[in-house]
Amino acid sequence: MKRLILTFGLALVVAGCNATTPEKAMSLEDQYKAALARTQAAVKKAASVEGEWRDIRWKKSKKRYLPKAIEAAKAGDYQKALKLLSIAEFQAKMGYEQAMAEKDAGPWLYGL
Amino acid sequence: MTKAKQRFSALAGSLVLLTGLLAATQAQAADDAIAAGKKIAFDRKKGNCLACHQIEGGTLMGNIGPPLMAMKYRFPDKAKLRAQIWDATRNNPRTIMPPFGKHRILSEKEIDLVTEFIHSL
Amino acid sequence: MKKIATLLLSAGLVATATQVLASTPEEDLQKFRAYFQEKFPGLKLDDFGNGAYALDENKRLQWESMEEFPPYEEFVDKGREIWEKPFKNGKSFADCFGPDPSKVRVRYPHWDPETKEVVTLEGDINKCLKENGEKPFKWKKGPIAWLSAFFGYEARGQKINVEIPNDPDAIKAYEHGRHFFYAKRGQLNMACADCHVKYPGHFIRGNLLSPALGHVTHFPVYRAKWAKKSKDGDGLGTLHRRYGGCNKQVRARPFKAQSKVYRDLEFFHQYMSNGLTINAPGYRE
Repeated sequence: MKRLILTFGLALVVAGCNATTPEKAMSLEDQYKAALARTQAAVKKAASVEGEWRDIRWKKSKKRYLPKAIEAAKAGDYQKALKLLSIAEFQAKMGYEQAMAEKDAGPWLYGL
Repeated sequence: MTKAKQRFSALAGSLVLLTGLLAATQAQAADDAIAAGKKIAFDRKKGNCLACHQIEGGTLMGNIGPPLMAMKYRFPDKAKLRAQIWDATRNNPRTIMPPFGKHRILSEKEIDLVTEFIHSL
Repeated sequence: MKKIATLLLSAGLVATATQVLASTPEEDLQKFRAYFQEKFPGLKLDDFGNGAYALDENKRLQWESMEEFPPYEEFVDKGREIWEKPFKNGKSFADCFGPDPSKVRVRYPHWDPETKEVVTLEGDINKCLKENGEKPFKWKKGPIAWLSAFFGYEARGQKINVEIPNDPDAIKAYEHGRHFFYAKRGQLNMACADCHVKYPGHFIRGNLLSPALGHVTHFPVYRAKWAKKSKDGDGLGTLHRRYGGCNKQVRARPFKAQSKVYRDLEFFHQYMSNGLTINAPGYRE
C-alpha cells in the first residue's frame, strides 16, 4: 500500500514538473533550432513526394523563406527567423498533404 | 420653449447627428473595405482574380471562371462567398481555382476585404 | 496462417498495381486524341501543332505575320553551324547522331533498356559533347536550343513516333510522367491538365490556353517573352525550360531541366502527340 502511494505520488510530481515547463521558458535560440529541425524535416518530406512548393527554398524565388530564416537567425533576429520558419513549415506540410491527396491523379479525373 | 423641452431637443438633435455620423463612418468604412478588396483582387501577385474572372473595371480579363456580377443574388449569404474564396475545392475537388485561404495565398484579413469587394459586384 | 497472409498481401498488391495500370499508353492515347478532336471539331489532327493559334482567328493572324520572317531563323542557322563544326578531337556530332541531321529528332525521346531511363534529344547532345571531351551545353537555352531547333527544323514534316516498349520499367516511367501531368501541385493547386486539358481555348488574362495535344511538335519554341528577356533577342528555349516556367507559375518548385521527373513527363507528353507532324521550332508569344 505504502509503495503504491509512493509510486503514485512520484508519478504526480514528475507529471507536475513536465507540466510546469512551458515552451516560453525555452530561449528564442532554442525555439529557433527546434523549429528549424522541424521545418527541414517537413521540406525533405514534401520533396520526397515531388510536392515541394516554390517559395520555401528555391534559389530563384523572391521569398526563400527557409534560407531567409537562417540568415535572420545568423544576424541574431530569432523572432523574424521563427516567423519565416513557420511559413516555410506550413508550406512544406501543405505540399506534402497535397501530393498525398493527388496520389491517384490521372486522366480519369478529367473524363479521359 | 421650456428648459426641459430645450434640453430634450438638444439631446434628440445630437443623437440624430451622432447616428448620422456613425452611419456615414460605417458607410465610409464599407467603401474603404471594398476599395481595399478591389486592390487585392486586381493585384496579379495577390488575388489575381482577373486572370480567370471578368470583373467590372478590369482589363484583359480571363474567362476560365464565371464573370463576377450579381453576386448578392448568387451568394445571398456572404459567408458562403468567403468560404468559396477560402477553399473552392470544398465544392469541387478538381476546381482550377486556387484555395486562397487554405493555402494562405492571401491572409485572413485580405480575404475579408476581397469578400467585401466581390460581394459588392 | 503465414500462407494466407502472403496470399492476401500479394492479392492486395496486384489489386493496387492493376488500379494504377488502369489504362495502357495506347488506351490513353486514343482517349486523349478523341477528347481534343471532340472539343475542337473544326481542327484536323495536325492543326493542333499550331496550339493556341489554331483556336483563335486574331491570334492566328498575328502569328502568321511573325512566321513570314521568323525571328528564330538566325538561331536555327547557329544550330546548323554547331552541327557542322568539328570537336577539338576531330570528331563531330555526326559521329554520335549519324550523318543525316533530318533523321535525329524523330528518334526522341526513347527508352533505354540498359540504363533504364528516358533518353531525350538534349540529353544525347550533351552526352555526345562529354564523350568527345567538350564542355556540355547549359540545358535550357542557348547552343543546346539552337542545335535542337536545327534538328527539329530538319525534321519538319515527319510524324512524332515515341515508342513505349512493353517493359515494366518503361511503363513505370510513362505512368510517372502521366501522373505528373494530371496531379495538382504548387501553392496555386493546379495541374498541367487543368489549363491544357480542361480549359484550352479559354483566356487566362490575355493569354489563350493551348491544348496539350500538339504541344510538343513545335519545340524547341521561340517565345517572344523569352526574346525580350535575352540580350540578343534569343527567344529559343527547350521543352524542359517551359516545364520549369510553368511549375514556377503555379508556385511549385521547378525541377532541374533533364531531371528524371521532366524526362518522364516528356516521355508521356510527346507520346500523347504521336502521329502529329513536327513543325519545330515554332514562334509563340
